[in-house]
Amino acid sequence: MISVSGVTKHFDEVHALDHSDLDIATGEFVTIVGPSGCGKSTLLRIIAGLINPTEGSVNKPDDSMGAFVFQDAALLPWRNVQKNAELLMELEDGFSKHERVSRACSALQQVGLEGFEESYPHQLSGGMKMRLSLARSLVLNPDYLLLDEPLSAVDELTRELLQEEIHTLWKKEKFTAILVTHNVSEAVFLSNRVIVMSPRPGHIIHMVDVPFKKRDQTLRSNPKFTKIVNEISGKLRTWK
Amino acid sequence: MEIKNIAPPLLVLMLFLAIWSFAAHLYDMVFLLPGPMTVALAFVSDFEIILEGVTITLREALTGYILAIIIGITSAAIMSQSKILERSFYPYAILLQTVPVVAVAPLIVLWFGFDEKSVIIISLIISLFPIINNTLLGLKSTSNNLVELFQMHNSSRLVNFFKLRLPAAIPNIIAGLRISAGLSIIGAIVGEFIIGSGSEGGGLGVQVIYAQGNLETPLVMALILTATFMGFAFFMTVSTIGHQLLKHWHESAQNE
Repeated sequence: MISVSGVTKHFDEVHALDHSDLDIATGEFVTIVGPSGCGKSTLLRIIAGLINPTEGSVNKPDDSMGAFVFQDAALLPWRNVQKNAELLMELEDGFSKHERVSRACSALQQVGLEGFEESYPHQLSGGMKMRLSLARSLVLNPDYLLLDEPLSAVDELTRELLQEEIHTLWKKEKFTAILVTHNVSEAVFLSNRVIVMSPRPGHIIHMVDVPFKKRDQTLRSNPKFTKIVNEISGKLRTWK
Repeated sequence: MEIKNIAPPLLVLMLFLAIWSFAAHLYDMVFLLPGPMTVALAFVSDFEIILEGVTITLREALTGYILAIIIGITSAAIMSQSKILERSFYPYAILLQTVPVVAVAPLIVLWFGFDEKSVIIISLIISLFPIINNTLLGLKSTSNNLVELFQMHNSSRLVNFFKLRLPAAIPNIIAGLRISAGLSIIGAIVGEFIIGSGSEGGGLGVQVIYAQGNLETPLVMALILTATFMGFAFFMTVSTIGHQLLKHWHESAQNE
């Protein structure tokens, strides 16, 4: 379990995040939605340990391995696809050269990038870059995966396809996922639970459980799906 | 290269040569303004002297340039690791650029002797700043997400530097190396100007002083043209190497 307790963050004068509590069960898929600048990315970075909270704390199981998926994919442009997929194994200790190559290969296959090993990031589409970014994280078999608006830069069709792929990967790899997005239907499609945050100073104003078992294209036109999306959108709107 | 790329500059060159020829013919004083043919003849008849000059100047400039690369990249790397070091030393790196090298050169010759050593040091001083400045800029402008990615996986300072900051800075480093390539040759010739008004033999700068003393203007111009093309060739060589290094991944080397 990852638990966030009483987390507050000030950046100089800006009060970004106000007293947030959140418990995330192992294997859960939780999405944080909120208007731009509500501190949701800040919360995700605090959970990642990339920034320290002004007050409060984040507890994660000891020795748990996390990975972060950035909005712009954050690939190294001077490395080809294969070498990018191997990067995190070079940074973390304990992977032999052989292991790095074979894990990278199978992760690339999993996200459908086989045959592109020798390509460079600038030759890839936005969707392919994000797939590579996912593969790069998955090679570590992370206990938790933090996703910061990973699909905001891809076109609508690619976004839906990638949502389905992320869901499949999550089911298969069984990591805990925390996603930050401003796209409500994406949040509902992917998560067990949606957390709604208020504008700055951001705090949690609402939580919605999403019960669906089967997540595929048909879910998007399901009236219950639409109802939950509308409920969350309504919450966001009333707070503006 | 295609004809449409070569034709315009070639046309300009021919026009320039024609005007030059005409002006030289009008003046009719070979020690003031020799025509292009006279200069070409001087180039041929004094080819051995020129070749010797090229060899010496190139050796000096290359040594100064390589030293500038080593010192420049190392000092930028050190400055990039600490704000305090950067604040302490960067202003002096700027002074390196603003000091009038031509005026300081005699001092350097006085300190280090009337030989190649001084020439190399002058060439080094003149080519150092662009390398420091561009390398430092590159090392400091790594994308924030990439820094966070490395931070997330507890990479050490050393790993961070060699796997992230240095490769990310390569386009900037190459930009600095390109500027300094031409400068290193200018520096060598400035140095030679100061050390050598004396004997025959020596680098291009020494030869220019000597030929000028003998009123051998066609040779002076042949030497100047040689020095100019040498700088150009050096710049092109560095550019080509840089392009080869970047062509796989950097925007600046695409669509060419």
